[in-house]
Amino acid sequence: MTNARGPVVHYLNQFFAGLGGEEAAGHEPVRIDGPVGPGRALAAAGLAPDVTLACGDDRFGEHEEDSLATLLGWLDELRPAVLVCGPAFGSGRYGYACGVLAREAGRRGTPVVTAMTPDSPGVIAAEGAAYVVPTGSNVAAMKDVVPVVARLALTLAAGDQPGPPDEEGYLPRARRTNVLVERTGAERAIELVLAKLRGDVRTEIAPPAELVHPAPAVADPRTVTVALVTESGCVPVGNPDGLPTRRAATWLRYPIDGVASLDPAAYTSVHAGFDTSNAEADPNRLVPLDAARALERDGAIGRLHGEFYTTSGVDTPVASAVAIGREIAAALVEAKVGAVILTGT
Amino acid sequence: MSSTLADLSIATFAIHEVVEGTRTGRNGATLVVDVPQLAVGARSDALAEVTVEVVRPDDPVRIANVLDAALPDVRADDPDGTFPGVLDHGRDEWLPPGPIHRLEGTVVLSVCDWGAAGFSEAAELPDAYLDMAGPGADRNPWAGDTAIVVRCVPAPGVPVADADAAVRRASLFAGRALASATIGDSPDRLDVWRHPSTVEVGSDLPAIAAVLQIASEGPLVDTFRLGRAMGTFAPTVVDPREPLTGAIVNGAYDWPAVRNVTAVYQGSALLRALLAGHGERFRMAGLVLAPGYLDGADEKQRAASRTAELLAELGADAAVCTTFSSGNSHTDTMLTIRACEQRGIAAVGLLAETNGGLTDHVPEADCLVSTGNEDELVDAWTPERVIGTDGDARVGEPVPTWAYVGACVETGDARLTAVPA
Repeated sequence: MTNARGPVVHYLNQFFAGLGGEEAAGHEPVRIDGPVGPGRALAAAGLAPDVTLACGDDRFGEHEEDSLATLLGWLDELRPAVLVCGPAFGSGRYGYACGVLAREAGRRGTPVVTAMTPDSPGVIAAEGAAYVVPTGSNVAAMKDVVPVVARLALTLAAGDQPGPPDEEGYLPRARRTNVLVERTGAERAIELVLAKLRGDVRTEIAPPAELVHPAPAVADPRTVTVALVTESGCVPVGNPDGLPTRRAATWLRYPIDGVASLDPAAYTSVHAGFDTSNAEADPNRLVPLDAARALERDGAIGRLHGEFYTTSGVDTPVASAVAIGREIAAALVEAKVGAVILTGT
Repeated sequence: MSSTLADLSIATFAIHEVVEGTRTGRNGATLVVDVPQLAVGARSDALAEVTVEVVRPDDPVRIANVLDAALPDVRADDPDGTFPGVLDHGRDEWLPPGPIHRLEGTVVLSVCDWGAAGFSEAAELPDAYLDMAGPGADRNPWAGDTAIVVRCVPAPGVPVADADAAVRRASLFAGRALASATIGDSPDRLDVWRHPSTVEVGSDLPAIAAVLQIASEGPLVDTFRLGRAMGTFAPTVVDPREPLTGAIVNGAYDWPAVRNVTAVYQGSALLRALLAGHGERFRMAGLVLAPGYLDGADEKQRAASRTAELLAELGADAAVCTTFSSGNSHTDTMLTIRACEQRGIAAVGLLAETNGGLTDHVPEADCLVSTGNEDELVDAWTPERVIGTDGDARVGEPVPTWAYVGACVETGDARLTAVPA
């Protein structure tokens, strides 16, 4: 073992592990002693992998749960000082596998470094649980990225905290941790704004990386199924499923097949962020079922989806809001919904 | 006779120790507190019970159901006029008061368990703690101070607004009573705050103004200015020294970490830094009180535009924009920053973060101060004692930062910030 805190483990896909090209993309997870492929470059940079894990990209994507269980089982057994995944460069499937494995290992307490292009799906999949080093899109970037990955991994393997992203060369992580600093927020604000007046614009909070752009217009609404989604906290009276009134991390759906409009005696709002009096008088202003039925009757929309989706959007951490959005979107895609009317409060 | 431009004097008396005794008084840096007498004086018909307790730094204590924190103040020339409108009959206009005596090293905390008292209006209010020791002490801006905890139990059947007013009077009465022990004494420090317009400074210095965002939405979520709930108000230019005098008092008990307690108005780090720095590297251009938590998009835009217009009238080259609480009000801050930048006023905003980032953002907000991540969990702790509730108070559980009063306050008064993990 090269590190007193545990072994160095390296994850690769089938190609970089030398198992084969596209024809080996279905290769099941394997465990190999010592460095392989890019692992030798890491070793040359001072970080010699003790164990290499590998899996075919398709195998991981199509059997994620099983593949992950095998890989995490090995990691549980090895208890690594650090895990390195990739570099995956611009490969979407490989990047995704690196990101998912990095996330799950990171959540179990293993320090993880991975590397890929900043727009790789693996960056989002990692959910801030790993240090992601940005790379170019192809293997030509290997010589530049390996030293950065090795240095970061050595820091983590020693049990130390890396410096800030711009100094250490990793992407800012979604996770932000609290620290006490010497100067008050007021003192820092005055310094920042004086610097800004001099043309030196700095910020302690980077702009959001993920912007939500308006979707293209629906080509022909008459041919699509439309769903009603709301963050207004609209639920059956009595809130039988316990939708949180604020800081919700969950969402619910309720059937509306054969229902012409929402009955004020049957639906209410548990949203804690606005005066719900008017909404309780007419819950169709939260979930516009009456108007949507009229559109359906007139043929302006194909048909209305048989359930409405609801949560209470107040004081919700952004990460929770993103997760809720993704989960509802996945359910809508599965139901072959083509358009959504999303009511906000 | 006072004038609008008269100097404001705040005399600070350092307290290093608080002991209980039979008569409230001060002996050098030791404050003697007659606890039973203080509780008796704080009572009123709207309260069934008032108890006072002294809690010191490093005591293994969690204080629950914390409503407000206030610095003990007294107007030395007119004690009855302390905390105007709350402890007296109020007035329509703020004028610089006579000398204020303030205790440093102590803080008065009002505590009330609204739920246990049967107030359904409080059902949505979140848990609110201060830890004097353990991992949460780092999140307590007053962990190094001795806390005078004024615990109130409302009388049955009293309307919530009346009970709340009584709680506010009880704690501020206690603060005034403690600070009154200094009347006639010489302070450890005397700050004389002059109105910036009376201080000649070079016109070549950049002019910085402050925007103090405040919301006031009704009982238990109100802010009081000169004793009156501010409600929905238009952006207003006020004397930048006014908040330092106890003229603005908190009655809003929503998210604790980003709660503007009375102490952050009295001790405003931002206003003091701008007033103190006036004439050195910059000019203090003034203060705008701006409404937050506005309901509609039009209202928000109008308030932001009007705030920027007032800043321009003040001649501000730059503005420091504070934020009141979280979520909705972040949009008010963002629109204000945008409106400032559109007028050529460089703006910096103070904002707390959530897991996953900011609730809202505009491209013009390129200069922001992070006052911490509200969602980060603080390690579990088991205090020896909990004050303020008979409930579980999350003892032995991780506590989210949002539950710690003042931890991430967006006025610039705390030292917490969020950095990449």
